[in-house]
Amino acid sequence: MIETLALVRLQSIINHAMWHPIVALHIPDGFLNFPVIAVTWVIAIGLIALALRKVQDEYQDRTVPLMGVCAAFIFAAQMINFPIPGGTSGHLLGGTLAGALLGPWAGSLVMSVVFIVQAVVFQDGGITVMGANIFNMGLIGTFGGYYLFRAIRNGIGRDKLQGMVVGTAIAAWVSVMVAAIVCAFELALSEAVPLQVALIAMMSWHVLIGIGEALITVATVTFIWRTRPDLFYRAPHRAITSTPRSLSIR
Amino acid sequence: MMLLHGGAFSLAIDNQRSTPWQDLTPQARILCVVIMAMAIALTPNGHWLTWGTYSIGILSTVLVSQVTLSVLLQRLAVELSFVSVVLLGTLFREGGDILWQWGIVSITTTGLTILGSVTLKALLSLLLLNVLTLTTPVTDLLQGLKTLKTPVLLVAILASMYRYLGVLIEEFNAMRRAAVSRNLMIGRRWQRLVVGNMIGSLFIRTYERGERVHQAMLSRGYQGLPFFQESPKNTGYDLIALSLTVLFAIAGQVAYWVV
Repeated sequence: MIETLALVRLQSIINHAMWHPIVALHIPDGFLNFPVIAVTWVIAIGLIALALRKVQDEYQDRTVPLMGVCAAFIFAAQMINFPIPGGTSGHLLGGTLAGALLGPWAGSLVMSVVFIVQAVVFQDGGITVMGANIFNMGLIGTFGGYYLFRAIRNGIGRDKLQGMVVGTAIAAWVSVMVAAIVCAFELALSEAVPLQVALIAMMSWHVLIGIGEALITVATVTFIWRTRPDLFYRAPHRAITSTPRSLSIR
Repeated sequence: MMLLHGGAFSLAIDNQRSTPWQDLTPQARILCVVIMAMAIALTPNGHWLTWGTYSIGILSTVLVSQVTLSVLLQRLAVELSFVSVVLLGTLFREGGDILWQWGIVSITTTGLTILGSVTLKALLSLLLLNVLTLTTPVTDLLQGLKTLKTPVLLVAILASMYRYLGVLIEEFNAMRRAAVSRNLMIGRRWQRLVVGNMIGSLFIRTYERGERVHQAMLSRGYQGLPFFQESPKNTGYDLIALSLTVLFAIAGQVAYWVV
């Protein structure tokens, strides 16, 4: 009985998230052909293997609990719908946010973990194309998003809120757009959707989704900047205390 | 490790039955599903007979595993509605005979073939995966992944994530209720700001929770390597099922060329 209740509740949560779909950034099974599947899987496995090693080096025995809860955090954050300009609603993808908060390696590891759970447990995104989904949103969305954000932030000033805001805003929008374009090319290369149709559909929709992503990411990082700036991957100098970020237990 | 219950979600409502499918070890079930999903996905467009063969096998798996059909259909309906948005894109293309035209929009035989093929592929894969998740608890899935040589660290992170998923979703719902009860969710601009703040706040709570969890793990003797239960040993029965799956996958391909 309890299990059935949990199932019903989960279903309603998923229904809610799914009726406002991020159009096809989670590619389902059956849309990609062998070359695209193979190449993206190889890249995705390489990314995960490298990220695991880098994160283990940095976090050591904190890796499992911290990465676990952070992945659950991204999963929970992705389920929230918010109004995006233009009248529809969307939900966060969180790549740039994960990058800004956790850094490129931990960020992309966490995002990959989220995609694995979504595909295997919730059938959100296929399992044969999981490599492509990790490639699009874990590598391009998170890794790419992070370095774009970092470059802009460094340009404006690492210790300025303005650098954080402008950096995350641009990186969030660009990473969503680039991920959508790459996704369109994957669909076209697999001869599932003609390139023109895929590009038009993906880009017109994600222009808006990207704006929503940027607004929410900016609101989120601004809040953290004001309350716990020491939690950022590269914290502003004033927030760095003698206790390292890792031991910030309150 | 693997003491996941309580707040964690349980999707595997048909786990307890004893059928030929549930008698397989989790790792064998995962392998069977992955082999079939790959075979389905890699079949070229228009090979209807191959998918026809596969669908017989998959439907019999659905029947043999005795999954609750109402839940299966419900889940399929939700998942397919999600897929359908992408599916539409496959229809409009050039090539083959034009069946219907309106301005620059035209439906061709090639478009229809691809739409049908991709729909079938997505449907069959979803059926298989739903059977897997309805019959196999997440704990067993993770154990199976570990047996199949997934890095232990990755499996441990996945398990830790799954364990805290319910906690964090509940925490976020509580924050949302608090915001609603203070009339903070009126107005779209305001709502975005509040949602942003909530996500920020959730991250801070999450990170601190992670630190506390780590401390708690340390105090219970955690030394950086997660403890795993012994996985169920592969049985001869698994081997038979796997060989049959592979043979069946090949038979489906052969059926197209022979008939």
